[in-house]
Amino acid sequence: MDRRHFIKLTAITGTTAALTACGNPENQVIRFIPEEDLVAGVATWKPSICPLCSAGCGVIARVMEGDAEVFRKGQAGVIRMGLAKKLEGNPEDPISQGKLCARGQAAIQITYHPDRIGNPKKRSGERGSGEFVDISWEEAIKELTGKLNELAAANDHASLALITKPARNRRFALIADLLQRFGARAPVAYELFSDEVLRQANASSFGSQQLPTFDLENARYVISFGADFLGTWNSSVAHSAAYGRMRQGRGNARAKFVHVGARLSQTAASADEFVACKPGTEGLLALAIAGDEAPQDVSERTGVAAGTIERLKQEFAAHRPAIAIIGGAALAHSNGSQQAAAVNRLNHAAKALDQPGGLSFVPQSNVVASRPLQEILEAPPKVLLVDDVNPVFASPAAWKVADALKRVPFIVSLGSFIDETSALADLILPDHSFLESWVDAAPESGSAKAASSAFGPVMRPLYDTRSTPDVLLEISRGLAKPIAGLPNSFEEFLNAERSGGTSIPPAGAAKATPLQWSEPVFDGDASQYPYHFLPYASQTLYDGSLAHLPWLQETPDPMTSAMWCSWVEINERKAEELGIHQGDIIELTSTQGSVRAPAFLNPGIAPDAVAMPVGQGHTNFTRYASGRGVNPISILAPVTTAETGTLAWSATRVKITRVSGPDESLILFAGATRERPEWTHGRGDT
Amino acid sequence: MARSRWGTDPVVTPARSSVGEAFRAFLGRRPTDVDQPFPFSHNIHLSKGATCTDCHTGVETGPRAGLPGINTCMICHSQIATDRPLIQQITKMSEEGRDLNWNRVYSYFPESHVRFEHAPHIRAKVECSNCHGNQVEQTVARRAVDMDMQFCVNCHKQKRASNDCLTCHY
Repeated sequence: MDRRHFIKLTAITGTTAALTACGNPENQVIRFIPEEDLVAGVATWKPSICPLCSAGCGVIARVMEGDAEVFRKGQAGVIRMGLAKKLEGNPEDPISQGKLCARGQAAIQITYHPDRIGNPKKRSGERGSGEFVDISWEEAIKELTGKLNELAAANDHASLALITKPARNRRFALIADLLQRFGARAPVAYELFSDEVLRQANASSFGSQQLPTFDLENARYVISFGADFLGTWNSSVAHSAAYGRMRQGRGNARAKFVHVGARLSQTAASADEFVACKPGTEGLLALAIAGDEAPQDVSERTGVAAGTIERLKQEFAAHRPAIAIIGGAALAHSNGSQQAAAVNRLNHAAKALDQPGGLSFVPQSNVVASRPLQEILEAPPKVLLVDDVNPVFASPAAWKVADALKRVPFIVSLGSFIDETSALADLILPDHSFLESWVDAAPESGSAKAASSAFGPVMRPLYDTRSTPDVLLEISRGLAKPIAGLPNSFEEFLNAERSGGTSIPPAGAAKATPLQWSEPVFDGDASQYPYHFLPYASQTLYDGSLAHLPWLQETPDPMTSAMWCSWVEINERKAEELGIHQGDIIELTSTQGSVRAPAFLNPGIAPDAVAMPVGQGHTNFTRYASGRGVNPISILAPVTTAETGTLAWSATRVKITRVSGPDESLILFAGATRERPEWTHGRGDT
Repeated sequence: MARSRWGTDPVVTPARSSVGEAFRAFLGRRPTDVDQPFPFSHNIHLSKGATCTDCHTGVETGPRAGLPGINTCMICHSQIATDRPLIQQITKMSEEGRDLNWNRVYSYFPESHVRFEHAPHIRAKVECSNCHGNQVEQTVARRAVDMDMQFCVNCHKQKRASNDCLTCHY
């Protein structure tokens, strides 16, 4: 056969094959009868609550009929059902006020994620191998009930533990109640970017163990110490809305906003004045502004000129109402509690508490005790329930969380995805997505009015999943010694206990005890590890728990325009000194290990600091996050804040080594600019 | 849709579910007959006094008339004509929780960016048969009227409805 004939024959067979495949495959698809009455082509908006952070923004979901691939009675098919298609802020909600952040907008992708777990699974391979087989709900619940019965028979109830994210809602209260009634101890709550330090400090400064709510709208002077309050910290949507009104909504009364920190964050970029300060000394600066320390004395320790401190002091004293905010990196130091107390002192000096344009604490109900992660690391339980939290990823390698979990004989994951923690599970009981379940929130801050809300499902479940509170209730009823007096469902529980906020005691008066300031302690000797390492919450991926959502991977970081990757921010003059160009691969080494990532030259970071966004570096977290970038948490030293035992994630020092030239791993949305032609896509020296 | 001077589709796009479909679309031809999962007869139902809106319930209220699901069939056929083999067939499907997988007869090419809403046309007293042909003569629905842009524009002129581009293309 000559070449010409071969090509002809290939073309003919290829076309025939293509045409044979051109049937109408839709005729073969099983179509289930719709479970609800829907008006074709007409959208309705249903309320829900964004689950992605503790702010608890009220959202509305646009629901319209559509065809969805689902599992019903063990069969795959298509059904016409009401599907949530878009999320927006709920205009009736006092927190979100009709707005929603980029992360909240992407929350809809949780429900339709291609790697979402659709049915219960049991481990079939080695632990951590990620091999699971599908089982039925009856088998799964029987297996877990059996394990709990064994604990009960051995009178070892305390060997059951549950780990979850900290929350102040009814769902958390129900879970804590079930654990207590079984005889287990309080739930373990873990979050990398925990605000426990601030809560504790507020308890001693103001008598309220919670995060403050700021009346930015009416403030005339705002000074923020490291708090990324317009981006990732606390109730950022509520803050952003109020900030907009503070800047533009009051005619000519435009407030001044000063940001203090070691890195120009998104919030810092919005400020009128950015004051670069040495990490861990923000509180000292606050004391000087409050008049407790002399500007000349703190100037050298904070790295801020005495003249600037004096001016800030005068400005802060001259403008009322004024607020001082502290959060994020400024609290993540060994002296975090003193930093917070120092800033609280500034608020006392401004008489900001419970004043218009000041700060307040909203009444709280549902405050339920929780335990720190360390307790299960020290004494691993026999049965551990993991509720949508990933401590294996979001804790320093030095804590050896994975090793501790491997010592737990039986782990049950209640999450919707396989991640580094649930890969270690023996049993997976997947929860509904938030759009498919009853949800509730009682936000701790963000609105001056206490807001407590509960909403029903926005849509019916797509897969064979079950709501976690309902599963726990069912198991509690099915024990050998059933727990009596339980509600039939989470829905019934929410509706029965519908109550307004119970008021907490009024905030206490200023305490006159003198503040014992202590210098921050850093891990790593300054001569060997010359740079402060400042990991920060990613504007999109937050603490890494959102790295599986492709919209968020695709969203350019507002300060660098980087996406789908990790990067290290380094001062551009320092980089020039070290011979590091944009996109060069550099290695950061701490006493705990090292990571390699491309360099991003940034004029807005202190010369003795490098910063990295948290979020990437997952080894096993869906197709979109696995094997992408590096995890900066892994090289953090296990320094903790003395008073609370929480991780001081800004207290690690590193050294830098240039490894190689650009390797295209720095993906920037922005191209080169005329002023900075060297800022191209990972090609620094072209 | 406006055609080129040779009567072919003005837009060539590979966005079709099959090569054959792409080729037919290029020639500007659309199938008159569409395969359906069930030999539903429009003429029997209309001759027994049923009206279009009995089954296509969305037509007066929303943009889409809606292709009725098996639940709609069972409203009447749980009692009427239960001895017929075809009715027994759908009764069985309904009991198994399965729906009829109808295929659309009328639709627009996505690249023409046309949106159509039924309800305003019904309010303007446009007869169903104007656009869908006389269903009394049809069993399963066939494409009786070729709805190209000329067809829409003519009727809009006659009825003095807006012929602004954004009325339909948005």
